[in-house]
Amino acid sequence: MNTPTIAEASALIAARKLSPVELTKSLLARIEKHDAIYHAFIQITPERALDDAKAAEARIMAGQARGPLDGIPIAHKDIYGTRGIATTAHSKLLAGWVPDADATVATKLAEAGTVMLGKLSTHEFAFGGPSFDLPWPPARNPWNPDHFTSGSSSGTAAAVGAGFILGGTGSDTGGSIRGPAALSGIAGIKPTYGLCSRAGILPLSFSLDHAGPMAWTTQDCAMLLQAMAGYDPADPASANRPVPDFSAGIGQDVKGLRIGVPRHWHETDQRVDPSVQAGIDQAIAVFRDQGAEIVEVVLPSLLDYQAANFIILVCEAFSLHEPWMRTRWNDYGELLRDRMVMGGLMAATDYVQALRRRREICQITADATKGIDLLLSTAAPAEAPRIDSVPKWANVAFPGFTNPCNLLGWPAISVCSGFGPHGLPVSIQIAGKPFQEAKVFQAADAFERATPYRDKRPVLVG
Amino acid sequence: MPPKTSRPDFDALVRRAGLSLTDTQITTIYGAWGYVEQMLERVRTPGRDRAAEPAHIFKPDAFFGGEI
Repeated sequence: MNTPTIAEASALIAARKLSPVELTKSLLARIEKHDAIYHAFIQITPERALDDAKAAEARIMAGQARGPLDGIPIAHKDIYGTRGIATTAHSKLLAGWVPDADATVATKLAEAGTVMLGKLSTHEFAFGGPSFDLPWPPARNPWNPDHFTSGSSSGTAAAVGAGFILGGTGSDTGGSIRGPAALSGIAGIKPTYGLCSRAGILPLSFSLDHAGPMAWTTQDCAMLLQAMAGYDPADPASANRPVPDFSAGIGQDVKGLRIGVPRHWHETDQRVDPSVQAGIDQAIAVFRDQGAEIVEVVLPSLLDYQAANFIILVCEAFSLHEPWMRTRWNDYGELLRDRMVMGGLMAATDYVQALRRRREICQITADATKGIDLLLSTAAPAEAPRIDSVPKWANVAFPGFTNPCNLLGWPAISVCSGFGPHGLPVSIQIAGKPFQEAKVFQAADAFERATPYRDKRPVLVG
Repeated sequence: MPPKTSRPDFDALVRRAGLSLTDTQITTIYGAWGYVEQMLERVRTPGRDRAAEPAHIFKPDAFFGGEI
């Protein structure tokens, strides 16, 4: 039996046709049966899960449901602090560390009634993977465990794809929600910078880190984000503004929207596989048929976004890892330490010049997209490579399609747009203007409903 | 992508960072430094206005929940 979507499960639970306890037990059994192959979880928390599920079921039976997420099983990327539950960042350096408080977003999801199944694999400290020299193995692609999930929210993508959870949390500093969502065939959104609190989430890069949801469908992401978003005085970058209805455009077409396509990104800057191009072309056709206006736009090169994003990221990351880098170098995985150390070798002026370039790029991008609602591209240039053949320096040798929206702070979602030559998922990416998540969801949902890709689930092994 | 920085100069950068790495470890990292050098050049916009500010704004009340 396929794992239901959050929207499906929510409706069944509200109608008392699905028991949160039975749903949780079936997912725990599925994890028990298959996760030795996929390594999505670092830690499963069955007692906590069943306690949460029983509490949700009692509320629902008493007519006191907390809302659409009450009784919905989820899990957290293991950089989200969880009170009384180890939070490792998938690293030897934090093995056994048990926080005394939940991350703000974890609290919000718990208050919405979700059922917490455990902590999910990540690239070490949300940067650098796949690594085979850490205390836990890397997550495997749910469509073929010989292949990569991308990262760093690799466990969340694997767990959602495999149907172990209905949704989960991720974080995104250069593409760590959208990359694994793309390669695992699920939906994942990096919201606007400041929309979701970073408080209690282990930081990677203060000015580029975003928290966000991942799930099988766009609609499910909108439902999760509704609970996750909101002002938090504990996060100095938190946006103090009302939270809109993110599901307002779900089920609608995109008539009247203007959608920009920066063709040079995927045709020149980083040429994509024909299967990815086919997905972009299909999205253009779907949106045009529904009455959207498609506009070609010229934006800065992907290399420009990559350069500023990388320099800012590694400088900020090295600054917070500096004491351990100096004293516990060999306790890090090779991939993380060799990539992150670049930030320690740069000069202060390099960092400031990257910040100045960031502002220029934000201005150029805003000017080039005046009157445009959304941008259409992809989140990954091809389907997932084999997990044992990922180039060590891919993040500096090739520009990423996800970097621009980290640098801009704009919201962007990755959704499945078909399958590549090896039967693995490919993606489109839809980005919006700051705090326009509802429009992003509207278009991504319209694409999902117009195409058959949400009907196909991976067949698990093991 | 061969680096412009010489290996002795790169060794000095590693020492300045306070890191004690083996020669093999430094060689591995040095092998990718050329890519980083390209990025460092790319963020230096020719003719940039001297007053062009970075994408950082300091808000005196941001660290106190807006109340101080």
